[in-house]
Amino acid sequence: MKPAPTLLSPAFLHPAGQALPEPLLALRKQRGAALVDMPMPTRKTENWKYSSKYLKLTDEMATSLPTTGKTGSALAVPGYKVVFINGVVMPEASEYPDLDNIRIQRFGDLSDAEASDLVERLDSTLDAKAVQFAGLNTARFEDGLVIRLKPDAALDQPLFIIHEVTADASGSAFPRIFVDAGRNSQLTLVEEYISSGEEAVFVNSVTEFTLAEGANITNIRLSMGGENVQHIGATGVTQQRSSRFESHCVGFGGPLRRHDLRVRLEGKGAECKLNGVVVTQDTQHYDNHTTIEHVAPNCDSEETYRNIAADKSHAVFNGRIHIHPDAQKSNANMSNKNLLLSTGAEIDTKPELEIYADDVKCAHGATIGQLNEESLFYLVSRGIGRREANVLLTMAFINELVTQIPVEAVRDTVQARLSQFFDQAFQEV
Amino acid sequence: MTTANKEVNELIKREYEHGFVTDIEVDTFEPGLSEDVITRLSEIKKEPQFMLEWRLKAYRRWLEMEEPDWAHLGYDRIDYNSVSYYSAPKRKEDMPQSLDEVDPELLKTYEKLGIPLHEHAKLAGVAVDAVFDSVSVATTFKEPLAKAGVIFCSISEAVRDYPELVQKYLGTVVPHTDNFFAGLNAAVFSDGTFVYVPKGVRCPMELSTYFRINAANTGQFERTLIIADEGSYVSYLEGCTAPMRDENQLHAAVVELVALDNAEIKYSTVQNWYPGDENGKGGIYNFVTKRAACIGKNSKVSWTQVETGSAITWKYPSCILRGEGSVGEFYSVALTHNHQQADTGTKMIHLGKNTTSTIISKGISAGKSSNVYRGLVKFGPRAEGARNFTECDSLLIGDQCGAHTFPYIESLNKSAIVEHEATTSKVSDEQMFLCRQRGIDMERAVSMIVNGFCKDVFKELPMEFAVEAGKLLEVSLEGSVG
Repeated sequence: MKPAPTLLSPAFLHPAGQALPEPLLALRKQRGAALVDMPMPTRKTENWKYSSKYLKLTDEMATSLPTTGKTGSALAVPGYKVVFINGVVMPEASEYPDLDNIRIQRFGDLSDAEASDLVERLDSTLDAKAVQFAGLNTARFEDGLVIRLKPDAALDQPLFIIHEVTADASGSAFPRIFVDAGRNSQLTLVEEYISSGEEAVFVNSVTEFTLAEGANITNIRLSMGGENVQHIGATGVTQQRSSRFESHCVGFGGPLRRHDLRVRLEGKGAECKLNGVVVTQDTQHYDNHTTIEHVAPNCDSEETYRNIAADKSHAVFNGRIHIHPDAQKSNANMSNKNLLLSTGAEIDTKPELEIYADDVKCAHGATIGQLNEESLFYLVSRGIGRREANVLLTMAFINELVTQIPVEAVRDTVQARLSQFFDQAFQEV
Repeated sequence: MTTANKEVNELIKREYEHGFVTDIEVDTFEPGLSEDVITRLSEIKKEPQFMLEWRLKAYRRWLEMEEPDWAHLGYDRIDYNSVSYYSAPKRKEDMPQSLDEVDPELLKTYEKLGIPLHEHAKLAGVAVDAVFDSVSVATTFKEPLAKAGVIFCSISEAVRDYPELVQKYLGTVVPHTDNFFAGLNAAVFSDGTFVYVPKGVRCPMELSTYFRINAANTGQFERTLIIADEGSYVSYLEGCTAPMRDENQLHAAVVELVALDNAEIKYSTVQNWYPGDENGKGGIYNFVTKRAACIGKNSKVSWTQVETGSAITWKYPSCILRGEGSVGEFYSVALTHNHQQADTGTKMIHLGKNTTSTIISKGISAGKSSNVYRGLVKFGPRAEGARNFTECDSLLIGDQCGAHTFPYIESLNKSAIVEHEATTSKVSDEQMFLCRQRGIDMERAVSMIVNGFCKDVFKELPMEFAVEAGKLLEVSLEGSVG
């Protein structure tokens, strides 16, 4: 007999912050009501199979964190910036334009009519059944940012969004972003998740993009929270005709890190490119779940993820390509390579193909292994120290993806953080 | 390709050629399952007490289990109480002592199927154990095999004649608690094949079992146990057919292989159960648990399967690579047509040092069918230097079918290396054009392309099976280009 499932604690269903337009408050309430019976994922929940054991939510973590504080972002910001602290936008710390053709607004500043329009679109890119925790964000967000690009609008510099949690007490934060990109508009959005403080906290974030015909969006996502932060994040994307979405996700492990990235190619000729790098050490965890749905014909997708797990850490990758019945002439490629640096560590990967159309070209490849002994020997025989050779080869394993990050400041931050990781991972070699 | 489509549709209407029913007197249990039924079954088979207890234990546990629903399959729930759990050809006295005593109707059935039970089978050089509905009806070439020391008999005989071997190994690879269908099988298995190859013996001929479901409304639950002792070698073939019936019939088999030090088992299957008609009516529900334990050092198990039949296939032949340096191989061609659904693949569990495995899976879907590869490759923390190579390719024929790949890869050892690749494609217009331009007709061209696609697997099959498999594929695919 099946034991009764553990449900999400009711303590998590009390949103704080009432300074929102009425339609958003109503939406929040409605989503909250739908979560009353939400079962917590277990080992038997297929999309949480490898990660449910890391999810440890206590009632102390249910209350929303206070919405004041300072930011300690690692990024030197060369563009516009919006700072969220504990899920709420801090206007005084932020610097961003609000132009006629590019509106960047806090949820709290929306008129009722604008809020009603947003309510229609929120959650439209994420399937509530597949991404269980996205609904919790909608039931709990206290603030959020909506970015609307009118046709042909292009922001002249990248927009940085710093999500910081201040963990001076136990609690949770629910940052939310919605990007509505009009026809042929362009934007580079950088999201950085960081933390300060030592108490156990829970971050549940959702970012959504809707791309109209010909829109071109680049999203860079850095997950750099501390050892006290359990983070479940989701990114949802829908793409119309000939639009292009590029994503670079860089993740450093933590007690629980989960990112669901879902892209739906809904218009002919849409194209997406998803890159991901994950490194974990000590007893850290990181889990990436990606889904690319080819709904319309003639779309291209290209996905490359690399994981490195050291010490006793655990990295998970699950990539799914789903070709719908009418999506003829689809091209989909997925590659996932993993490096296991220690026998105490674990890597689980599941590259899935689900195909209902015949005239398609789909391929996926996955490998798990260690550094190539011959390459190591080659370097060592030329006078390079063993440790340095290890670092070189490991760096080479992911550098291909790191160098593709289109914003230099982000690249530098990532490389600095990676060398820190290598210093620790190859200490005793 | 509309003109092609038309030709194709005309060609598609090829029927299942093993769909006849043998009219024979049978003893069949009333439908239903209870401890009583199991006790009666055990009595009829004159089993020792330990077997009955084992069955009842499995049955009680099975009652608490839930039918799995994770597979990518759609079918109505099975009512396990509407199935009859035993059906056997009626016989006047005990087991027939030689082929001459076997009911001639039965022999005719096997002749029709092309299975060499009679003496002319000597030419074929294959020893056959024929299983008709619930019981084994004949086993050939017992004597020459006995001379070599090989035990090849029905599992019912083995339970009576070699209880110590059966007790030692039965359920050690697939315990009755393993899964829902294996639990059901442990409770009600009616017959099957038992093979024991003693130390250092290379089995002098191919062993083969032919399974035939005949009676209506019955399930078939056979159990196969093969033990290869140190340094031995055996090659085993399995084939299956069933009559065409409108209702679905259940087949839930368990196969256990045990390979000790330096032993090698080669297990080949050509599965051709009735797949249902073109509207998806009828056909066999095939829920099979096959697993091999490579206990010994440098032992090797190789699974080769050609799956063309069944309305539903749920089957994952697996290898547990425990012995140092042991090797697991899986070669599969799974073809689905019309409304067939297959969810099949393998599990390679690497526990020992320097264990290696290879997986080559070819899925072909046509019509409105669904074809899934689902596999697991796992390296335990002590699998130093273990290696796996996986290649799973899908071929789609027609735009209403589905081809899916769900590979699970788990590694806990840094020196283990796994490589997985998968591709999906279709029979391309260019390939067809090239063939047609050279005067090769449509049907022949498809069959050539598909044969090329499956070549890696077919070359692993024993010769006579490879021929059969090639023909089977040709029949099943006839004209399905679109």
